[in-house]
Amino acid sequence: MTETPDAWPAIQRDTKSAPFFDAAARDELVIKRCTGCGQALPPEALVCTTCAGTALDWIPAEGSGTLLTWTTVHRAPNRAYTDLVPYTVGIVELSEGPWLYARVDTARPSPDLPLRAEFVHPGDGESYPVFTAAE
Amino acid sequence: MSDQLEQPPAAIAGLGLTDVGKVYDRSATDLAAEAVRLAANDAGLAVSDLDGLLVSPGTQGAPKLSLQKVLGLRDLRLLAEINALGASPGVMIAHAAATIAMGGASAVACVFADTPLKPKGSGRDAFGTPRSGPRGFAGYHAGIGLVSPNLFYALAARRHFATYGTTSEQLGAIAVAQRAWAADNPAAQFREPISLAQHQESPLIADPLHLYDICLVSNGAAAVIVTSAERARDLAQPPVDILGWAQAHPGRVQHDDSDFGLRTGAADAGPRALRMAGVRVEDVDLLQLYDCYTYTVMVTLEDYGFCPKGEGGKFVAEGHLAPGGDLPCNTGGGQLSAFYLTGFTPLVEAVVQGRGQAGARQVDQRDVIMVSGNGGILEHHATLILSGAGR
Repeated sequence: MTETPDAWPAIQRDTKSAPFFDAAARDELVIKRCTGCGQALPPEALVCTTCAGTALDWIPAEGSGTLLTWTTVHRAPNRAYTDLVPYTVGIVELSEGPWLYARVDTARPSPDLPLRAEFVHPGDGESYPVFTAAE
Repeated sequence: MSDQLEQPPAAIAGLGLTDVGKVYDRSATDLAAEAVRLAANDAGLAVSDLDGLLVSPGTQGAPKLSLQKVLGLRDLRLLAEINALGASPGVMIAHAAATIAMGGASAVACVFADTPLKPKGSGRDAFGTPRSGPRGFAGYHAGIGLVSPNLFYALAARRHFATYGTTSEQLGAIAVAQRAWAADNPAAQFREPISLAQHQESPLIADPLHLYDICLVSNGAAAVIVTSAERARDLAQPPVDILGWAQAHPGRVQHDDSDFGLRTGAADAGPRALRMAGVRVEDVDLLQLYDCYTYTVMVTLEDYGFCPKGEGGKFVAEGHLAPGGDLPCNTGGGQLSAFYLTGFTPLVEAVVQGRGQAGARQVDQRDVIMVSGNGGILEHHATLILSGAGR
C-alpha cells in the first residue's frame, strides 16, 4: 500500500466484493436484494435480515439517498489517518432503503440531507463512492 | 420486597481485582489467575474448593480454557470460555447461577483479563486497526477511515442527537458526575474532578464525542465467585444476591427500519431481568451501567425505562446520577474515570456497593442494584439484578 501523505488507504477487493468495485469503476452503485422476500440490502450483506434468506442478487441502485447520521473525525483513529483528519463518514440511507457506510464530502452535514454518489478512482486500489450534497 | 427476593438461587460470594491500568509486565493469563486467587481468598475459600470456572478472553485472545491448568484446578464440573464481548460478565454469572441452582456446580469463578495497553502505546494504538488491513468490504471501511469503535458510537450518538435533540452538554453531565464519584475510589485511574466546561473543551475525537465522552483503556483482571445464596451466607463476605438476569442480542439491521443509535438490546433485556427479580424499575436503588461512552449510559437509561425514550439527555442533565442524586450511577467512576475491564467495571462496583464496602462513596440504599453489559457496537446486552439486602 502507498504511504503517500494525503492518500486514503488503498482498498483491495475480494471475491464477495468484486461486483461492487467493478460497478464503482463504471461510476455505478450496486446493492443486494433478497430473491426470497425482495428486501433491498446493503452491498456487504450475505444474508437477509428480514427473512434470513441467503439467496441474494446484485441490483443497480440510483446512487441517491439521505444522510442518516455522520461523524467528523478530528483525531486520527491510528497513524494511517494522521494526514487525513478531519474527515466525515456517515450512514447514507439509499433511496432503495439499505444503509451504506460512506465518506461524506459536504461542508454542512445535517439530518436527512439529500446526497448523491460520486465515484473516486484512485491510482492504487479500488474505486468507491463518496457522497456529496445533491444539487 | 416480593417473595421472589427471599430465596434467590445464587449469590456473589467473592471478588478479586488485580492492579489495573498501566500494568505492563504481566500476561492476561497471569492476571486472570491472580484475580481468581484473590476472589477465592476474599470469599474465604481455597482455590481447590472451586468446581467451576468460566473464562472470558480479552482482546488479545487470553485467558483461555488453559487457565484451569494455570490454577492447578482438578475435577471441575463446569468449565468454558464465554465471549459475548462487553456483555460477557452478565452471561457468565447467569450461566453460573443457573448451573448452581440446578445442582451442577457449587462454587464457580467467573474471570476476565485483558492487556491491550503496551508500554509507549496509547489507547488508540491498542484498539485501532493497522494500515495493512483487511480486503473486501472490511477493506472498504478501512479505506474510508471507518475503523474505530469511537466512530461507530459517534454515529449512534449523532443519530440520537438528530432525532431527539440530545446535546453534547447533556452527555457531559454524565462524565462530570462519574468523575465526581471517582474522587472517592482509590482504584480509579482518574480522580481529579472535571467541570462541564472542561468536558466541552476536551478535544473532539469523533464529533459529537469529546475525549471525556470516551472510556479509558486498561490492563488488568477481575473475577467473582458465584455460589448458592445459602452457602454464601456462611462465607467470609456479605453476600450479593443474584435476583435476575436477561440477555438481548438484537442483530445489526442495516436498512431503513433499523433503530441503530435510538434503541438498544437494553430495552428488551432490562424489563425481562426486572421481571425475573420480581421488582420494578422504580425499585432500583443503584445503577452500574456499561459506559464505554457517555452516550451508552444515556441510551441505556432510556431503554431500561428510567425516563421516556428521547428524554435521556434531559434526564442525565438533571443530576440524578451524581453524588447526592436520587439514582446513583457508576459510583466508582466507571469505565470513563476508574478503569476499563469491559463488563467487569460495572460488576465490580456493584459487588463493592452491595456489600457496603465502598467507603466514602458508599450509598445508603442497595437492595436492588441494576447492572448492564454492552458488547460490540450496541449488538450484545446483558442485564443483572443484584441485591445487597442479604447482608
